[in-house]
Amino acid sequence: MSELFTAVLGKPFGVVVYQLLAATQYTIYLSLIALIGGGLIALVITIVRTSPYLNAKRVAAGYIWLFQSVPLLMLLFLIGLGIPRILGVNVNPWLAASIALVVYASAYLADVWRGAVESIPAGQWEGARALGLSFLKIVRLVILPQAVRISLAPTVGFTVQIIKGTSLAYIIGFYDLMSIGKRWANAPVSGTEPYVIFPLMALIYFCLCFPLSVWARRLERRLGAVSSKQIPKLP
Amino acid sequence: MEFRFFEIYRSQEYMGLLAEGAALSSALAIGSGLLGFLLAAVLSSLRYFEVPGLRHFATAYVEVIRNTPLIVQLFFFAFGLPLLVGYAWPFWAHALLALTINFSGYFSEILRAGYAAVPAGQVEAAMALGVKKLTLFRKVIFPQAVAAMYSSLNSQFIFLFLTTGVIAEIGVTDLTSAGLFIDSRTFRSFEVFITLTVIYILLALAFKALLNGAYYQMFQWKRAR
Repeated sequence: MSELFTAVLGKPFGVVVYQLLAATQYTIYLSLIALIGGGLIALVITIVRTSPYLNAKRVAAGYIWLFQSVPLLMLLFLIGLGIPRILGVNVNPWLAASIALVVYASAYLADVWRGAVESIPAGQWEGARALGLSFLKIVRLVILPQAVRISLAPTVGFTVQIIKGTSLAYIIGFYDLMSIGKRWANAPVSGTEPYVIFPLMALIYFCLCFPLSVWARRLERRLGAVSSKQIPKLP
Repeated sequence: MEFRFFEIYRSQEYMGLLAEGAALSSALAIGSGLLGFLLAAVLSSLRYFEVPGLRHFATAYVEVIRNTPLIVQLFFFAFGLPLLVGYAWPFWAHALLALTINFSGYFSEILRAGYAAVPAGQVEAAMALGVKKLTLFRKVIFPQAVAAMYSSLNSQFIFLFLTTGVIAEIGVTDLTSAGLFIDSRTFRSFEVFITLTVIYILLALAFKALLNGAYYQMFQWKRAR
């Protein structure tokens, strides 16, 4: 593959483009880990947050508030540098970056999904309860199918924020598009000047994010928005 | 496991660095927030008035900003563009430029949603009165759009503020870079980053309170009678 790129694009540039694209896969893997891991935690938190148990609800609300307030960069520093120092163990950048992004994604997804669940009319809960369904059955059979529909658009939109968020992981030594791009931009090779590399990286990120943005907007138009204008877009 | 927060707060040098960093971070966030808002007003009005050519530029600009990471934009404006165009400003000015452009993309999209929220009857009434389109925009649509989207703009600003830590990567001596410096001296990473996180959260809460307090000052007609 590498030879193909150099054959088409010439010596330094073809290698650069190939390496950037090859590193992009790690950006995608990390995004998927954050989305799936964060989604699973967010599911639990959403259920707790919308359950009738007051103390559990407070804990879930606190979790959402805390991890929405902590900057992602600080989360990465704390997990990638802070925890290893305080515990005296080595943490592999993959693990640290994954934990930080999973926690980060879970707080936002839980908040988005809570909004979706709360937008379902109270009559649905009452009707299901009147039929004698248990809490978990109400959630699984009545609430979830409707909530998933409503929250699909903001969830897809948030995936864009996750992809952009992974670009910070290079700070704790994670190898991805950002880290290899920065290395090339610093290299004294003509054709890899910062004004070439950074727009190229921006283009790759754009190609990952833009289709998702368009898809999210289309879903929003089709399925209706859950006050998605209140969910801030993260840079 | 042993926490040694006192290594930070007992040192006058470190506390001074943190204070200076917090001040610079806040100043840059406020500065680029205001400039970004002005730029967003211009960009979104280009789309509102459907200015031929420029409206597509504004659309593309907003999409590119919102679909690429801040850090890539920051590196481009700090390392790429200066080499190409030949400007070399202090680090903080590069950060201000990058943050302004980044903020403007997000604010612009919020404002655009705000214009759509202004009731059509008002536009029709103003047009029937013979108000010029520009005056209509300035006096009727824009203030109401900002008032309607105030809470969105507010929380967007807070979220953007929380991401400004990346400017430490281009050498700006902001709050994050103060933390990284103290970390490199003391090796108390956990304590340092907990401290930074707390400062960031407190600043964010302060900004939020300040912006919420300013609401009725700015939009007097919204005041309950």
